[in-house]
Formats: sequence, structure tokens, C-alpha cells
Amino acid sequence: MRAFDTAGAARVALEPVPPPTVARGRAIVITSGKGGVGKTTTTANVGAALAALGKRVVLVDADVGLRNLDIVLGLESRVKYHLLDVLEEKVKLEDALVRDKRSENLSLLAAAQTREKEDVDTAKMKALIERLRDAFDFVLIDCPAGIEMGFKNAVVGANHAIVVCTPEVSSVRDADRVVGLLPNDWRPELIVNRLRPHLVRKGKMLSVEDVNAILRLPLLGVIADEPGVIVATNKGEPLALDPASETGAAYRAIAAKLAGEEVAAPAVRVSHGNGLLSKLGSLFGGRA
Amino acid sequence: MAGRRIVITSGKGGVGKTTTTANLGAALAKRGKKVVLVDTDIGLRNLDLVLGVEKRIVFDLVEVVEGRCQLRQALIRDKRFDSLWLLPAAQTREKEAVSEAQMAQVIDELAEFCDYVLIDCPAGIEHGFRNAIAGAREAIVVTTPEVSAIRDADRVVGKLTAAGLPLRLVINRVRMEMVKSGDMMSVDDVCEILQAELLGVVPDDEEVIDTTNRGEPIVLDETNRLAAIFDKIARRLGGEIVPFTNLNAPTLFGRLVTLWKAG
Repeated sequence: MRAFDTAGAARVALEPVPPPTVARGRAIVITSGKGGVGKTTTTANVGAALAALGKRVVLVDADVGLRNLDIVLGLESRVKYHLLDVLEEKVKLEDALVRDKRSENLSLLAAAQTREKEDVDTAKMKALIERLRDAFDFVLIDCPAGIEMGFKNAVVGANHAIVVCTPEVSSVRDADRVVGLLPNDWRPELIVNRLRPHLVRKGKMLSVEDVNAILRLPLLGVIADEPGVIVATNKGEPLALDPASETGAAYRAIAAKLAGEEVAAPAVRVSHGNGLLSKLGSLFGGRA
Repeated sequence: MAGRRIVITSGKGGVGKTTTTANLGAALAKRGKKVVLVDTDIGLRNLDLVLGVEKRIVFDLVEVVEGRCQLRQALIRDKRFDSLWLLPAAQTREKEAVSEAQMAQVIDELAEFCDYVLIDCPAGIEHGFRNAIAGAREAIVVTTPEVSAIRDADRVVGKLTAAGLPLRLVINRVRMEMVKSGDMMSVDDVCEILQAELLGVVPDDEEVIDTTNRGEPIVLDETNRLAAIFDKIARRLGGEIVPFTNLNAPTLFGRLVTLWKAG
């Protein structure tokens, strides 16, 4: 190849036909800045819904020291090895992957619980995600809260981001900061989580439009707040697998969109018209 | 005088550290205490928003540490309480901009002229956490009755104990109807798992979202039940013996208990 570099015309003519490209999986980091807005729940549910669509999915818990994805999936007693065991080459990747109870297509790579985020080698993390992309259609990376080392390691191997945000000023401010820290050529997609339509109607909660007037991201989905999520987490059963759950349906719609299927607009839509937006506007127009 | 130096921490994010810091601070100030709130969430500050003073920020914690301003210049006085102050975090810097020793020095300096320094810790257990606990002498661990929050709190309790900090629990966002129906852990369940002393129990209240958005701590609304609850927490913190409202129901989460017994 190198020889052609000096002769432009010849290079074009003699360029060999590229080998057929092997379809590689997408590596998507689920992030938010603020904690407790639903990153882990989103990762588990979108992952489970993608697997139900027949996609091969691996979920990577990047929250070293404070892992929770295993609990949300109900797999905590099956975790034998973790991310750091793989990165430090103590075990083979295949041995560390925990197969989901419900779906053949879904696997988990758990985080280490008793180690520190600083123990993760960034270059090795990147290489690991690359490897996973060869074997899976979707690699979903559950990012820790904050924007420290754990965030950087969660983002390094990804090629796309889903930003999870709740309709609260603090969450919007943190999400905005995170969008600014993601690579410039990405176009992160937004999930507005824990919307309470009755509060929006009363003017006591930001609407989806309010949130996105600040963030200006393609809207991937809207999830309503419901106590069922807490119950599902405590039980380790993602709602996405419950055909009767509306929240589950919203996660399935998000998964279908990610898988490239045509989906109708999100079911939860509430018009705005409250005075909260002015607070947000001044907040973001002010001193950084 | 040397005020008390208390870090408010949780491990997991979004369980209510900042809301607790603001409301407890306001409740203490209402009782006439001199209180400084310190936001240590450099890069993702939010305590200023919850207090509604975001437009009054001129200097921040990092600028104090770097000697660009006096400590007193960076303090923002609350709009409603004369004895409540905020030391805001920097928004466009990293947690590494401040060292543990520098943080401890700032907290010591603040403790010299007030009754309480409440330190709002960032989520996680990284550098920001280590900074936040560096100047503290005691800790309040905030958690919610959810498996993931409790597992994270358990990890933090271990770290605080290792650092020699005495701690008490605030259990936040308890939904009584869910506890009764067996869909949520009870206060007793949480205390048993974490083996820690209880400082307060705060019910879930959707008004909190609105007051946060508007920058008005909920304790300002005398009619809200949370105002009385934070006042009780403030009194307990001051050493008074204040009985707890019984929020328990006879349920126990089998899965959780096995989870913890297994390690």
C-alpha cells in the first residue's frame, strides 16, 4: 500500500478491492453526569429488549467499586469474575461473561466490587470494547455517575452515547456538561427518564420540550416515572420483559429504534407551558 | 469555637445528598445556628441551584484553594437565612484541582467561625469522595430503600469506618404504601443491613422536585411535612433525643438478606 502513496493516479487505479467488511457491533455508553437518574435501569432494560429482538447483546458495568447492573438483572449470585479480572488477564473474557437467565442473547460483564476505578487501564478498556464489538451486535456500557476517571474509561471504547436525563434542573445541567465532554463528532441521543405527566401539567415539572430546549439532542425515548421500576429492580426482573408494562413497552420501542426499526413517536408526551423554562434559560445563559 | 464538620455522602448518586444538605442546613440555620454548606462536586455542582443562589456565584472552592480570592469572598450568603452560607464548587474544573490536604484546610478554616460545616459529597468513591471526607469529622450517609442504593451505601460505610469517621443514616424517599404492600424495604431492614444508627427518615414527596427546580429548600414551606422532618433531624444532630415516627411494616426482603449474608 505504501508504495502507491507517492503516485496518486496509479493509486486510485490500483487500489485493491477492499475485503467485505464484517459488520461490527455498536458500542454505546449510557451516561448522565448526575447519578441516580436511571443509567443502570436503562442499560438493563434496553439490553434485555434488544436481546428479545434477536440481537446479540453484552452489557458492561463500568462502575468499578459500586456495581449494580448485576442486581438489576438479578444475576448477582452468578457473577464469578469481573471486568478487572479480564483487563488484568487473570481470566479469559468468555469465562467472565455471565449469561442472562432469560435470554441466550444477553450477557453481562460485571464490574469489580472491591477495587477502585483508578485500577482500570484505559488503553486495555478500549481494546476490550473493540473485542466485544466483534462478537456482539450491541455493547452497552453502563457509565458511573460523575465525570472522573470512571466516566473516561466508560467512554473510551464507545462509538455512540445515550444520555439519560430526568426533568430536573440539576439533572439537565449535569447532562449538558456531559454532552460537552463527549467527542465532538458524536451525536448522542437523549432518553428523558422519570417523567411525571401530572406534574408537568401542573407546571411543577419540566416537560420533555423544556429539557430538550437546553440539550438539543435527538430524542430516543421518554420513560414515565412509576413505582414498578423500584419493585422490578428489587426483584432483578427488567420491566422491558413484562409484556403488560407500559414502561416495558417504552423500553422496547427504544430498543427497536436502536435496532433500526421504524417506531412511532414515544407514547409519553406532555405539552409544556409552565414557567420553569425561564429558570433553565437563565441558568444556562449565565456564568459557566 | 470549632464547629462540627459533617460530610453528607451516599456512594450512589441521585439519592438526595444535595437536597439533604440544603434542607438540613436551612433547618439548622432556622434554629439560629451558623452554617456553611460546601459543594465539593467540582464540575457537576448543584447545591447552588437547590438553594437558588446560582446567579450570585463570583468565586468558588477551586479559586479559594488556588489563592485567587479570600475564603470569605467566595462565601455566598443565603437569601432567606442570615446565618446560612454556601461555598460553591467550580463548574468548569476537575475534581483533581483540589487535594485532600487543601480541602481539609478549607474545612478547618470554615469550622473556626461557624457551628456546622456541611460538606456535600459527589456521587461515587473516587477522588471527589476522598476530598469530601478529608476535612470531615463525622458523616451522614443518605440512602434510599432500594437494593442498589443500599449496596453502594454499604461500600461507603466501609470506607468511612476505615477512615475513622462516625456515621449516621438518613433514609430518604420512603414510600409508606410500598413498604406496607411489601414492595419496598422498611427502615428496619435498611438499618439491619447497614448496621448503622438512624438519624432520620424522609418520606418520598414530589414537591421536592418542584422546590429544587425553583431553588427553594422545602423546609421554607412550614405546611410541608418535610419541614418538620428536617427540623427533627437538625435537633437530633444537635444531640436532642427526638422520637421517630413509626414507618415500619412487618416485611423482610429475603433476596436482600441473602445477598448481604453471602457478602
